[in-house]
Amino acid sequence: MSRPVPLLTARGLVKAHGSTPALRGASVELHAGEILAVTGPSGSGKSTLLHCLAGIVRPDEGSVTYDGRRLEELSEQRLSALRRTEFGVVFQFGQLVPELTVLDNVALPLLLAGTDRAGARTRAGAWLERFGVRGQDGMRPGELSGGQAQRVALARALVTSPRVVFADEPTGALDSLASEQVMTALVHTAREAGTAVLLITHDAQVAAYADREVRLRDGAAAALGVTA
Amino acid sequence: MRRLRSDLRLAWELTRGSGRGEWWRIALTAAGAALATGFALTAAVLASLRGTHRVPVAHGLLDQPGTRSGVVVGLLLLLVPVLGLLGQCARVGAVHRDRRLARLRLAGATPWQVRRIAALETGLACLPGSAVAVCCSVPLLLRWWERPSAPAWAGIALVALAVPLLGTAAGGLALRRVLADPLGRVRRAGPRGGRGPGLLFLAGLCLIGLVGVLTVSGASTTAGGRAGGGALLPVLGAAVAVGAGAVWLSGAVAAATGRLLAVRARSAATLIAAERLRDDPWAAARAHAAVLLVTVAGTGFLGIRQVLVDVVRARKDLDTSYYLAGLDLTGAAVAVAVAVTLSALAVGTAESVATRRRSLAAQVAAGVPRAVLGRALLLETALPLAPALLLAGLGGTGIGAWYALLAGRPVPWAIALVPVVAYAACLLAAAGSLPLLRRSVRPGELRYA
Amino acid sequence: MIAMSTRHILLGLLATGPSHGYDLKRRHDERFPQARPLAYGQVYTTLQRLVRDGLAEVDGTDSDGGPERTVYRPTGEGTRELSRWAAEIAPPAPFVANEIFAKVVVAILSGGDPAGYLSAQRAAHMERMRELTALKAAPGTDLATVLSADYALNHLDADLRWMNTTAARLTTLTAEVDAP
Repeated sequence: MSRPVPLLTARGLVKAHGSTPALRGASVELHAGEILAVTGPSGSGKSTLLHCLAGIVRPDEGSVTYDGRRLEELSEQRLSALRRTEFGVVFQFGQLVPELTVLDNVALPLLLAGTDRAGARTRAGAWLERFGVRGQDGMRPGELSGGQAQRVALARALVTSPRVVFADEPTGALDSLASEQVMTALVHTAREAGTAVLLITHDAQVAAYADREVRLRDGAAAALGVTA
Repeated sequence: MRRLRSDLRLAWELTRGSGRGEWWRIALTAAGAALATGFALTAAVLASLRGTHRVPVAHGLLDQPGTRSGVVVGLLLLLVPVLGLLGQCARVGAVHRDRRLARLRLAGATPWQVRRIAALETGLACLPGSAVAVCCSVPLLLRWWERPSAPAWAGIALVALAVPLLGTAAGGLALRRVLADPLGRVRRAGPRGGRGPGLLFLAGLCLIGLVGVLTVSGASTTAGGRAGGGALLPVLGAAVAVGAGAVWLSGAVAAATGRLLAVRARSAATLIAAERLRDDPWAAARAHAAVLLVTVAGTGFLGIRQVLVDVVRARKDLDTSYYLAGLDLTGAAVAVAVAVTLSALAVGTAESVATRRRSLAAQVAAGVPRAVLGRALLLETALPLAPALLLAGLGGTGIGAWYALLAGRPVPWAIALVPVVAYAACLLAAAGSLPLLRRSVRPGELRYA
Repeated sequence: MIAMSTRHILLGLLATGPSHGYDLKRRHDERFPQARPLAYGQVYTTLQRLVRDGLAEVDGTDSDGGPERTVYRPTGEGTRELSRWAAEIAPPAPFVANEIFAKVVVAILSGGDPAGYLSAQRAAHMERMRELTALKAAPGTDLATVLSADYALNHLDADLRWMNTTAARLTTLTAEVDAP
C-alpha cells in the first residue's frame, strides 16, 4: 500500500468500434519509470487500450488520469500537445513521414515544439547516433530495413524526452535479431532516462523485457507477475 | 468471348465490392467523360457544317464558317481542362486500385487479363458519362436541325465511341508499372508519379491545338478572315505555346520549390510541404498546368474582350449584339474552364489526403497538430503555384496588351489582377479538402496496414 | 532439452590443450553459463572412463604449488571421436516428455483446476523469461551468455505458446479426457 501514486491510471475503460466491443471495463496502472507489457491474443483490445491511454481515442466509458489530469476533460488541442511533449509513440510501422529524410523525421517533434531547424537537427542526429542509425540520416524511410526504421521511430519518440513511451507491437514486423536490437535500445534508453513504457505485444519474448505484464482477455485486464 | 465475359464479370465484382473512394472515382470519371463528350459532340456537329447556315442560337454567330470555326476551336480548347480533370480523377483511389490489381497479378492472373480488367473498369466508368451526354445532346440538336447531315451523324457516332474507348485505352496504359513489378506495388506505400501522365496531357494538348489550327486555317481561307479572325491564329499559337510550357513549368517549379525550401524550411508545415513537392513534383502537374492555361486564357480573353467591346461600341455601323454574343459565349467557355480546373485541383488535393490516410493518422497520434498538417497541405498547392501563376499572368497580360496595341487602344491593365484572383480561388479549392483531412485522421486508420 | 554428452564436452575442452579435472570443471561452467554446473566427482569419473575407452590418456602430473593433480590429454582416437560427434546431428525431440501437459491431464482427471494451474505456470515461465532477458540485455554481457539465454528463452517461449493455445482449448480437452 506504500506504492507511489501511478503516473497513468485507467479505470473501467469501455470502447466499441461500431458495434464491435474492443474494451469492456479494462483498468491499468502505469508507474513512473516502469516498463509494462500489455499482452493478449489478437482482438483482445490491446491497441485500443493503448489508444485510450495515450489520449489518441476517447473511451466510451471510464477515465484516464495522467499526472493528476483527466484526459477526457482536455480539449483535442491540449491532448495533441500532451502527446507531442510528454508522450512518445511507436507503432508497428508507418509512423515515419515517407517524404522526410530520417534526420528530419526525428527532428519533427522538436520543430513542432519551436526548436530552430539547426538545433533540432543536431539533437536528432545525437539520438540517431545513440540508436546506431546515424549513417542513414539522409535516407527516406522507404530505403531503411525494418529494424532500422523502428530504431528511427524510437529516436523520434524519445527525442522530446517524454515521460511515457507508448509502443504498439514495435517489433511486430521484425525478425528476432532486429527485434532484440530494437527492444534493447528501447529498454536501455527508458531505464536511463526514467521514461515509463507501455509496451503492447503478443510476443512473450518481447514482453519479457518489461518489469510487469498485464494480460488482456476479451477487453478486460488481469495483472500478472510483478517483479519486486 | 467467354474470357472477355468472365473478365467483365470480375471487373464488375471488383468495382461493386470496392470502397467509397472507388465510387467517387467512377462518378467523377463519368462526369468528366460527359463533359468531354458534350464539348466534342458540339464541336463535331459544328465542324460538319459547310458554308453559310441559319443556326437559331447565339445571335447568328454560328451562321458564318469563320466565326463557327472559332467556336469549334473554343470548344476544343475546353477539352484541355477537362483532360486535366479526367487525369486527376484517374488518380482517385489509384494506390488502392494498383494494389488490388497487383494482388490479382500475384494471385495468378496473366498480365493481359489484369490489363483487360483495368481497362474495362475505366471504360465502364466512362460509358455512362458519354451515354448521358449523347442522350441529352441528340434531342437538343434535333430541335434546331430537323435533318442533320450524314457527316454530323458520323461525327456524333465517332465521339460517342471515341470517349469510352480512349478511357479504356488510358486505363490499360496507366497500369504498365503495376504489370512490370506487381510485388513492388503491393509492398510500396505510395505511387511515384513519373512524367508519364504529364507527357500524356501534353500530347493531348498538342493534338487539340493541331485540330484547332487546322480548323481555323481551313475556315479562314474560305471565309477570308473577318473581325479579327486572322489574328486568332497567332493568339491560339501563343496560348498553346504558353500552355505547353505550363505543364513543364508547373512540374519544374514544384521540384525547384521543394528542393530550395526543404533545406531552408523553419517550420514543420513548410518542411513537410517542401519535401513532398521534392519527392513527387509531377503529382499535381496536370491540375496545375490546367490552372496556368486557364489563367493565361482568362487573362488574355479579358484583355481582348475589353478592347473589342471598346471597338464595337465606338463603331455605330456594327451589329453590337452579334459581337457581344460572341464575346459572352467565349466568356462562358472560359468560366466553364475555370470551374472544371478548380474541380480538378480540389479532386487532386482530396485524393492526396485520402491516399495518405494512415500516415496522416499516425502523425496526429504522435501529436502533430492537425493545423500543421492542414497548413502543409495548403502550402503544397500555394508554393509551386505562386511563381508559375506569376508567369502565366505575365503571359496572359502580354496577350491582352499586344492585342490592345494592335487595335490601337489603351492597354486594360486591370486584367493583371486576374492571376491574383486565380491564386485565391486555387487556395480555396485546395482548402476544400481540409474537412476531409479532419475526417481522415481517425485513429481507426492506425489499425490497418 | 536434449541431454548433453559430458564425455564429448570434456574431450572438446581437452582439445585446446592438456588440463586437469578441476580446471576442466571451471572452464566448463564458464563456457556454458546457463547450463547445470558440473560436479567435480562427475568430471573425475568421466575422465577415468575416457582413459578406459582409449579416448584420453594421462599426460603427467602438475602440482603448481598446491596438491598434486593428474593432467589429461586426448588420444588420436579421442580426437577422431570428437569430430565425429560434433558433426553428428542431434535427434530432433525423439520423445515427447511434457510434464506440463501431464499435469493438465491429471488435473482434469482428478477434477482439479487445470486453468488455474496453467495460469500459475504461465506466470512462473514469464518470471523466468524476465530474469533471462534482464541477464541478456544487461550492458557488457558476453555473447556466450546471450546465446545460452536465448536458447532457454526460445524454449520457454515455445512452452508458453503451447500453454496459451492449450488454455484456450481447455473446454474441448476436458470433454475429450472425461469421455469414457
